[in-house]
Amino acid sequence: MIQLENIHKSFQMGPVTVEVLKGASLTIGQGQLMAIVGQSGCGKSTLMNIIGLLDQPTSGTYTLNGKAVAAMNDKDLSEIRNRQIGFVFQQFNLLTKLTALQNVALPLVYRGVGEKERHQAARAVLEKVGMLEREHHRPTELSGGQQQRVAIARALVGNPAIILADEPTGALDTRVGQEIMDLFIRLNREEGITIFVITHDMAIARQCSSFVRMHDGVIHDH
Amino acid sequence: MIIKPNIIEAVNSLVSAKQRSILALIGIVVGIGSVIAMVSVGSIVQKEALRQFMEMGTDVITISEEFSADNSKKNKKLNIQTAMAIPGHCPSIRVASPYASTYAQFKFKGKKDNIPALGVTPSFLTINKLNIDSGRFIHELDRHMFYCVIGQKVADKLAAQGVYDPVGTRIFFKEKQMTIIGKIREAPMGGMRPYEINEGIMLPLSTLQRLDREAAIRNIIARSRDNAARDQIESEVNAYLSQQNLNGMKVRTAEELIAQMQKQMKLFTLLLGTIGSISLVVGGIGVMNVMLVSVAERTKEIGIRRALGAREGDILFQFLVESVLLCIVGGFMGIAIGVGASWIISYYAKWQFAVSYNSIGLGVAVAVAVGVFFGIYPARQAARLSPILALRSD
Ligand SMILES: Nc1ncnc2c1ncn2[C@@H]1O[C@H](COP(=O)(O)OP(=O)(O)O)[C@@H](O)[C@H]1O
Ligand SMILES: [Mg+2]
Repeated sequence: MIQLENIHKSFQMGPVTVEVLKGASLTIGQGQLMAIVGQSGCGKSTLMNIIGLLDQPTSGTYTLNGKAVAAMNDKDLSEIRNRQIGFVFQQFNLLTKLTALQNVALPLVYRGVGEKERHQAARAVLEKVGMLEREHHRPTELSGGQQQRVAIARALVGNPAIILADEPTGALDTRVGQEIMDLFIRLNREEGITIFVITHDMAIARQCSSFVRMHDGVIHDH
Repeated sequence: MIIKPNIIEAVNSLVSAKQRSILALIGIVVGIGSVIAMVSVGSIVQKEALRQFMEMGTDVITISEEFSADNSKKNKKLNIQTAMAIPGHCPSIRVASPYASTYAQFKFKGKKDNIPALGVTPSFLTINKLNIDSGRFIHELDRHMFYCVIGQKVADKLAAQGVYDPVGTRIFFKEKQMTIIGKIREAPMGGMRPYEINEGIMLPLSTLQRLDREAAIRNIIARSRDNAARDQIESEVNAYLSQQNLNGMKVRTAEELIAQMQKQMKLFTLLLGTIGSISLVVGGIGVMNVMLVSVAERTKEIGIRRALGAREGDILFQFLVESVLLCIVGGFMGIAIGVGASWIISYYAKWQFAVSYNSIGLGVAVAVAVGVFFGIYPARQAARLSPILALRSD
């Protein structure tokens, strides 16, 4: 469903151009739980941001469900982010002013779903991640692991085709990180959700159905 | 568009940045407050003036000496006979009442005061639609007599000295003793009525001219016949006066005065409108500043929302709602202050206060317009942020 071919990405840092991705190619199939490992700064997040339509490659082709991403406008890209992609970040990125329930319901706001329906859907996914009893808590009142569960619920609420998780356990201790990983494995097995995880922890990567390595802007199949 | 979550969002954001929001509001409140006050006072004044004219009737005419800059050209002075003969020579004039005025010392039981006095003829009463409270008005036979009719102010002064029924009381005016023969009921001012009616006393015109040789007849108040056209009145009067070698007299009809007043009102409105607009621009820039800071502080949030599927338009709308809401809050405060100010002004000016619903509508409309105008730039900045750069920011 995701096909990246010969992706290059450069950043302009003042007078110098830094090439971060140097011809990365990757295919992620439906229902996979795939990990990508590599040293810090090798370009994993950059690649994931391109996959998540938050950024555009400098060159190369990205095909999502058979459609060329390069031809899409802001409306198309936003719609795909909203309906087909769920993000999970290392720092959770919940909106601190909103309750867990409101945070989880937020993607549905941009679909024009009514409040009642939004909250119903949000409660269903909060239950799935075991956070329903905390629906009225604000992020600051939750532990890191709990916040990440809420963030996963938010990624799930719109029934996305793929979840992109950028070091989802990076800010958590090993035990809590493993719980989050167990949740991903369960969601992948039981619900068939495609999950793509960035990690630098081999113990995490080994639990995935497949993993690839990134080195110096290029992907090496395992 | 998703309005409700955006409004809730905007309220939260504005409340969490209270100080900044309040500062920005001051400009909006002052701007909209002054616009509302100006529109309200303007319409109150206009209604008041029209009401006065309606009360006085639209057939009132004044014939007044123009203040000429050229003093060397000694104009012949208008005398009573010439003035009284105007209706006989000008068919469009029904009645005419010439009057003169002076300002001199009024004395009663040792208490001294300077007051204005009008020298009038008997028809002055009906032409000015005045009412007698007690006693009588000046009569044809009172010529040269030291009789006077007092206005409300003088009656109040006498009452303060224990005289509650002033008719028959003797007072001194310009060192001459005179007898009060009547009291005029307080008349609303404006609409061509001389202000001296309420403020001072009225004497027979010939008496006043004997007391004060300088007191010339500078004004004639008259009434026209059967809605005579302004041009006709003017040409008849001017023809007669120039035949009498009198120049520099200006004829004014009620109609003309209303038109002139409306023109002045427009100018006044324009002036205050300009002041209001300047405050609004200053306030608007304040709002823009608040919004730019809000956008800068919430860059990360914008990135998160974009990652969750918010379109550029959604972000634009979110910030636009916030700035419009801020301005509407300021607008309502401004409306309250503006209406309050015009109430206070009307109260002290003794005008009939009325809330102009147009002005409230205008206030809200202006608030929304300022919110959109000054909010669009920050909102566009927010919407155009690259999702990934916004998300990577702290
Ligand atoms: N927007 C950007 N502008 C400049 N440099 C960037 C930008 N995004 C990423 N980089 C640089 O690209 C390199 C790769 O970053 P990243 O993809 O985050 O690595 P990883 O996730 O593998 O640790 C880093 O050196 C980072 O500083
Ligand atoms: Mg990274």
